Amino acid sequence: MAETDAASDYPSIDPSTFDLIVLGTGLPESILAAAASSAGKSVLHLDPNPFYGSHFSSFLLHSFSSFLHSHHPTASEQPPPSTPIDAGEFSVADLKTRPLYSHIEISSYSETLDTSSRGFSIDLSGPRILFCADPVVDLMLKSGASHHLEFKSVDASFVYREGKIWPVPDSREGIFKDRSLGLTEKSQLMRFFKLARGHLGLAEEGGEERRVSEEDLESPFVEFLQKQRLPPKIKSMILYAIAMADYDQEDPVACKKQIKTKDGMESLALYHSSVGRFHNAPGAFIYPIYGQGELPQAFCRCAAVKGALYVLRMPVTSLLLDKEYGHYKGVRLASGQDLFSHQLVMDPSFIIPQSVSSPSLDMPHEGSYLTEVRNTPSPLMKVARAVCITRGSIQPDFSNLLVVYPPRSLLPEQVTSVRAVQLSSNVLVCPPDLFVIYLSTLCDNADQGKEALQAAMSSLLVLPRESSKHGTPEVNEDIKVETKPDLLWSALYVHDLTEVLSDTVCSCPMPDGNIDYRDLLKSTTMLFHKMYPQEQLFPEAVVSENTEDDKASID
Amino acid sequence: MASRRRMLLKVIILGDSGVGKTSLMNQYVNRKFSNQYKATIGADFLTKEVQFEDRLFTLQIWDTAGQERFQSLGVAFYRGADCCVLVYDVNVMKSFENLNNWREEFLHQASPSDPENFPFVVLGNKIDVDSGNSRVVSEKKAKAWCASKGNIPYFETSAKEGFNVEAAFQCIAKNAIKNEPEEEIYLPDTIDVGAGGRQQRSSGCEC
Repeated sequence: MAETDAASDYPSIDPSTFDLIVLGTGLPESILAAAASSAGKSVLHLDPNPFYGSHFSSFLLHSFSSFLHSHHPTASEQPPPSTPIDAGEFSVADLKTRPLYSHIEISSYSETLDTSSRGFSIDLSGPRILFCADPVVDLMLKSGASHHLEFKSVDASFVYREGKIWPVPDSREGIFKDRSLGLTEKSQLMRFFKLARGHLGLAEEGGEERRVSEEDLESPFVEFLQKQRLPPKIKSMILYAIAMADYDQEDPVACKKQIKTKDGMESLALYHSSVGRFHNAPGAFIYPIYGQGELPQAFCRCAAVKGALYVLRMPVTSLLLDKEYGHYKGVRLASGQDLFSHQLVMDPSFIIPQSVSSPSLDMPHEGSYLTEVRNTPSPLMKVARAVCITRGSIQPDFSNLLVVYPPRSLLPEQVTSVRAVQLSSNVLVCPPDLFVIYLSTLCDNADQGKEALQAAMSSLLVLPRESSKHGTPEVNEDIKVETKPDLLWSALYVHDLTEVLSDTVCSCPMPDGNIDYRDLLKSTTMLFHKMYPQEQLFPEAVVSENTEDDKASID
Repeated sequence: MASRRRMLLKVIILGDSGVGKTSLMNQYVNRKFSNQYKATIGADFLTKEVQFEDRLFTLQIWDTAGQERFQSLGVAFYRGADCCVLVYDVNVMKSFENLNNWREEFLHQASPSDPENFPFVVLGNKIDVDSGNSRVVSEKKAKAWCASKGNIPYFETSAKEGFNVEAAFQCIAKNAIKNEPEEEIYLPDTIDVGAGGRQQRSSGCEC
C-alpha cells in the first residue's frame, strides 16, 4: 500500500519453500509465473519495485524518467565484487544489479504540459504493437489473461520513402483505392499476392495452389521479390512494413540479417491472418488500452488466480548456494528471511553471481547457456528508443498508426530500420488532445542509434532548436511544415540487449528491438520448456468458468 | 457494442486477508458458504445479473486473488471500477483500521475523476462469530468512520449465515449503476480478443 512507508517492516512470507521463485515482473517473467502456476507448481513472485512490469512497464511521465535514471550507470554505485560469504548451512552470494539504460536525454519544451498528469501511461519498451494473429494473443486466450485486457486497432501503417510516407495497403480494396500506385504496379502487386495466397494454401476456388519452390524458399526474400518484378516501393513495403526487416536487404555487406523467402512468406501469412481477425480491428495491429504495461499484470493476475504468491516491494539481497557444489538453493530477502526453491527466474536487471554453478554442467551434453534464441542472433547489442509527446497527430486523419523508415531512407548512414508508433488518448495512454510517439532502432552504438531516431523525429515533428543540430537531415518538404505537430516532451535512451540464460537460475530477456512480441515469446517458451520439459506452456484452453457469456446463476 | 460497457459493471472487493471477501462474493452469487478457509485460489471474478429500473445489468465482482495479502494489487486491478467494496472483520480491530489505507490506495491507484463522490460501500463481516461476543469494532464506531468519509453506506453482514448479504449487494449494484462511466469516447470499439473474435471478414486481406 502507498502508506506502507517503513522499509524496515518487511512482511514475513509463509511458506518458505517453493517450486519456483521469480524475481521481477516483466512480461517474460510474468508469463513464466502464470504458466508454472497453471502447471501446478508453487510459485513465489517477487519484485523490488512497488509496481508491476519491470522493463515492460508503463509509467506516469515523471516516474518514467525516474525509472530510467535509477537503472543508469551512475545511479548504482556497485560495491566491489565480493566472494560468497560462508553463512552456516549455505554460502551466500550477493545479488547485484546492472545498469541497463544509458545516454538518457529527457527534454521538456512546453510549460503547459502537465508532466504529473495521471492521464499518462508511457511504455518503457515502446514502440510495440501486436499482430491480431500474434502467438501472444493466442497465449492470452489460452491463459485467461485476455479477461484483463482490451485493445484498440492501430488504424494504419505507412512506409517512409523518398521523403514521403506511403500507406501500406492491407487488402485488395486497399490496393485498388491506392492512388499512389500506377496501373502496372497494381497488377504486379495483385499477381504477387495471388502467388503468396497460392503458396499459403489460401487460393480462392479455382485459383492455383502452387507452392513456392524449395530453392526459392531458402533464397533471400529480396531476390524472390525482385524475380516477381515488384516495383521498389512495393518491395520496400513488403520487406520493411510487413516482414519488418531490420537491415538493408539489398546491401549484402551492411545486412546482418537477411530474410529468407520462407520467413518472408510466414510474415505475409501472419499479416494476412491478422487483417480482419477481429471485426472491429480493420488493420493488422492492435494496442492494449492503458499501455503495454497491462500485459505483465494480466499474466500475473492469472498466476495469482492459480495460486502464485505475490510480493511487491521486496528486494532480494543474495542467493543461497549449496556449500559444496555452489548450486542454487534459495534467496535471502531484504527482510533477512531465507526462502528456498528448485528454480529461480530473474529479470535482466540482475546479474547471476559467478559463484553459482550449474548442476547441468555435470552433464556435458546438456547445453546450459543458450545464447541463440533467434535463428541468427542479432550482432547488434543495443536498442535506441525515443518517446515524444505532441499536441497533434502526425497524420491528421489517424489516431494510432505505425510508420516504418527502411534503412537509408532517412540518412545515408542509417543502417537499420526505424519504427515509429503514434498512439492517442483513445488508448488511454495520454490526456485528450495529446499524442505519444514511440520510436526505436537497433544500433551498434548510442550515437548511431540516436542519430537515426532524431532524423525520424524531425521528419515527423517540429523539433525545437532543430536547425542548429548537426546531422539533422533536410526538413522533408512533402509534409507541409504547418501540419507537423510540435514536440512538447521527449525522452531518448539506449539499452543493451541481454542474453537469455537458462539453468536452475534463469535470466529473462530485455525488451528486444522488434515491434511485436514474437521473439520474446519464443525465448520465454524455450525457458519454460527447459525448466519443465514435461509441461505445456498453458495446456489447451480449458475455457475459464468466468467468461462473460457464462453468467453465474442463482440456482 | 456501444452499450456493452454500460451494462457491465465492475465491482472490486478490498480488505485485509481473511475478512471474508471471497465468502461474501460466493454467498451473494452462488448462495454457498464454505467453512474451510483457504487464501483465495481459483477465483478471478464472478458475474451476476441484476435488474434495476427495468434494465438488466451484469455485475462483475472482482476478487483480489490473494494479491492483497502483501499489498501487491497492481494498478490494472483497480482500473475502471464502478464501485469499491471495503470489507473488514468486526472481530479484528486491525482489519477495521486498515479500511482507511485500502480506501486511499483505491483512490490513488484507480484515480477516479471525482474521488469525492466515488461510490464505496463498507461491509462489517463475520457478525455471527461467537454470537457477537468476540466483536471488537462497534457498529457505532464503524458508522462514524463511514460518515466521516462522505457518508459511505454501511452494512453488517455474515457471509456464513447469508445475513444482509443480498441487501448489501443491492446497494453495491445501485451505486455502481449510478456511477456515471467517465470515459465513454473510447469505449464503443475496444477489442476484446476473447469475445466474438475469429470472425473473418469477407472483405479481408488478400495477401
